[in-house]
Amino acid sequence: MIGVLEAKYPFLDRAVEMVGVLGLRVEELVGFGDVVDRGFERVSEAILRGVVSYRGENPEVEMLSFPVALMFVSLIGDPFLDRRYALAEGKRAYRLLREEAEEVIAEVAESFNWNIRLRRAILDGQLYSFELHFADYLRNASGFHEDKWKLVNRVMRNGYVLLTKAEAARLLECEVENLILQRVSRHRRIELPGELEKRVEMLKKLLEEHRGQIGGETLPERVDVEAFPPCIRRIFEAVLAGRKASHMERFALVSFLLNAGMSIEETAELFTSISDFDPEMTRYQVEHIAGLRGSRTKYKPPNCDTLRTHGICQNPDNLCRRVRNPITYYIIKARRGRRRRGKTS
Amino acid sequence: MAAEREIQLISEKFREFYAKGRIETPREMERREFGFIPFGAKAMFRHLSFSTPEDLRLYLVKNTPAHVYYSSAYYENPEAEMERKGWLGADLIFDIDADHIETPCKAEHDRWRCKGCGLEGRGETPESCPRCGGISFEEEKWICNRCLDAARHEAQKLLDILIGDFGFSPIDELEVSFTGHRGYHIHVSSPNIRELDQPARREIVDYILGTGIKAELHGFKPSLERLTTGEGGWRDRLIKALYDYLEEADLKALMEAGLSRATASKILEIKDRLLQILWDGRPSLALRLIRRRTLDKLVEAAVEREASAIDTVVTTDLHRLIRLPGTLHGKTGLIAQRVSVEILDDYDPLVEAVAFKGGMLKVYVERAPRFSIGGVLYGPYIGEEVELPMEAALYLLCKGAARLAG
Ligand code: SF4
Ligand SMILES: [Zn+2]
Ligand SMILES: [Zn+2]
Repeated sequence: MIGVLEAKYPFLDRAVEMVGVLGLRVEELVGFGDVVDRGFERVSEAILRGVVSYRGENPEVEMLSFPVALMFVSLIGDPFLDRRYALAEGKRAYRLLREEAEEVIAEVAESFNWNIRLRRAILDGQLYSFELHFADYLRNASGFHEDKWKLVNRVMRNGYVLLTKAEAARLLECEVENLILQRVSRHRRIELPGELEKRVEMLKKLLEEHRGQIGGETLPERVDVEAFPPCIRRIFEAVLAGRKASHMERFALVSFLLNAGMSIEETAELFTSISDFDPEMTRYQVEHIAGLRGSRTKYKPPNCDTLRTHGICQNPDNLCRRVRNPITYYIIKARRGRRRRGKTS
Repeated sequence: MAAEREIQLISEKFREFYAKGRIETPREMERREFGFIPFGAKAMFRHLSFSTPEDLRLYLVKNTPAHVYYSSAYYENPEAEMERKGWLGADLIFDIDADHIETPCKAEHDRWRCKGCGLEGRGETPESCPRCGGISFEEEKWICNRCLDAARHEAQKLLDILIGDFGFSPIDELEVSFTGHRGYHIHVSSPNIRELDQPARREIVDYILGTGIKAELHGFKPSLERLTTGEGGWRDRLIKALYDYLEEADLKALMEAGLSRATASKILEIKDRLLQILWDGRPSLALRLIRRRTLDKLVEAAVEREASAIDTVVTTDLHRLIRLPGTLHGKTGLIAQRVSVEILDDYDPLVEAVAFKGGMLKVYVERAPRFSIGGVLYGPYIGEEVELPMEAALYLLCKGAARLAG
C-alpha cells in the first residue's frame, strides 16, 4: 500500500492522504518508536548537516516520520529552524528527483500544479527533457542568481522554457522548500506526551549548540564612503554635485545609507543641501524608507539584479561579481579596508 | 496649464464627450483602484472604486477630470489605504513612451527652460543645466508623427516577443492602447501572470530588454561545432541581432560600442567572414577571430538595438496606476484609445484619437511648432490670433500653448 514514491516524497497529496487514513493521534505515536526516532533524526540531520537523508528500508516509517518531523519543528517555533528544516527537506527531494525517470519528475511537478510537458530536445549537445510554462519557471527560478537561470538566457518559445532533468529537479526543490516552510511556520501549541516532549527539548538544545555557526557579517562603525560600491558611489556623488537623480536612484541611495548606519538626520541633510529639494518632503521620504512611516517596514537597498534592471548598476568591479546586494559589497570592502589600514598603522 | 476660462471650456467639452458615450472598463473593475487628476491640480484623488461602468461614467460626467487612471492590480478592498488593500494580483503592464526613445525630431519640437537661470534649449531636457547646474526645468513637449512612429515600432517589437516567446494570445490576453500623448501601453491580462511577484516581473523586463544576456549560454562557446537554431527566443534573435548590427556597423558605431579604434578597424576588415559565420550558425568560429571581451561588447550593442524600449519601473511596479483606455488625456484632448493588435500597423493616433470635431474656435497662440491633428497640418504659430477647427484649438488649449481670444 505504501509505495516507494510516498516514502521518497511524503509531501505529495497522496502520501498526506494516506497518513490521514491511518489516523494516528499524537498520544498513539509513542507506540511507534521507529517513526518517532526517524522524525527526530530528520530534524537533527537538518540542524547538523543541512540535508535530510533518505532511508528506503522501511517505506512506512520513512513516510510517517515526515509529519512527525513537521510537528517537532513547528512546536519548537523558531523561524531559523523553520528555514533550515525546509531547506534540508528540499535538498533531500532534489537528490532523489535528480535520479528519477522523466515521468516521475513530471508527476511530482504536476502535484504542484505545474504546467509541464515532456519534450526531448538536444541543443548544443545538451539533452533537454521538459518544457515548463514560464510562470511556473519564474515562480521558482527568479530567486536564483546564476546567469544560466535568468530567463533571458533560456530557450523559450510560445511560453514554454526548455529544462533538463536536473534543472527540473532543482526547481522542484524550491517548491518543496516553500511548501514545508508554509506548513511549519504555522506554529502551534499542543500538549505532548512526556516521551515526545523530551525529544522536543533535545532538538531545541541541539539547535542552540549549532546556531552560532552561521554568524552574520558586521558593519563598520562609521560610514565609510571609500567602501561604497560603484552604483551607490555614482549616485552619491551626483547628489552631492546637485545633479538630478531618478526616483529609483534616490531610493537606492537612501536605503543604502540608512542600512549602512547613517542617521535619518544626516541622510535628509544630504538631500536638502541641494536648493531644489523641499526639506519637509525629503525628511518625509527618508523616514518612510527608514520605516518610521507608512508601511513601517525598513527598506533594504534593492538587490543588484534590480539595480541592473533599472540601469543603475554601472561599471561593476570584481568584487561586484561576488555580491547580490550593494550592502554586502560595502561590508566586505569596508572589512578589507580596515585590515589594510590596520596593517600599515 | 490653461487658466480659468479655458479650463471651463475644456471641462465642458470633456463633459459632452463622457455624456454621450459608453465607457470602456477594465476586467473586474470592482477589484481595481481608480484615481483622478482634476484640471489645474497636481495631486491625485485616489483609492476610489466603482462597481459598474455606469457609475464610473456618471462620475466622469460630473467631475470631468483631466486624467483618469486605474490600477493594474486587483484588490480585495480597492478603497482601503495601501497597506490594507489586500493585493490579489496584477496585470502585466508595459509602457512605451517617445520620451525615452531617441528621435532626431525632438530638437525641432521640444524645448526646455532652466528655472534657475532661464537658459533655454531645444530637444531632450538635460540632467542638469549646462550653465548654472540647476536641476529643474520647464518643459515643452509636442506630439509628432515621427516620435509616434518610433514608439509604435517599439510596441511592435514588444508584441513580437510577447506573442512568440511568451505565448500570449493577441486576441484574449493582449491589449494595446495609445496613451493619448506620446506613446503606447500594452496590457497583459492572463491568470498565468497575475500573481507573479516583483522578482519574476523583473525577469520578464530583463528578458525583453536583453539585460544580462550571456552569449555563451546561447551557443557562443569555443567547443561547439554548430549552434542549434530554430528554437526561437533570444537564441535565434541574438544571431539575427548580431548579424544586422554588424552588417550596418561602421567605425563610429563600433567605437561607440566600446571598442578601441584598432579593434574596430579589425572587425571591419573581417566583417564579411564574421557575417558568413553567423549566417552558417557556427559562432564558435567567431571566437577564433575575435576575443570574448570584444564579442561581449558587440552582443551588448546588438541586443540594445534589437530590444524594445520599455519603461522598467512601470512593469515591475505591483501597484501601478495607469491611464484608463477610452478616456481623454487632459494635456492633449486626445482619446487614450484601444487599438487592436492586427491594425496597429495602420493606426494613426493623430487622426483616430481625435475626440472633438465640428465648429471653429478663435484662439491666441503663444507658441506652437508645426503640428498635425486630424490629418491636417497647422502652424507654426508664434504670438498670433488664429481661428482653428475645434480639434486643433482644443489641442492647443489643453497643452496650455494657447488661450481663448478676446
Ligand atoms: S553589482 Fe551591485 S553593488 Fe556592484 S555596482 Fe552593480 S548594483 Fe552596485
Ligand atoms: Zn540654469
Ligand atoms: Zn518627434
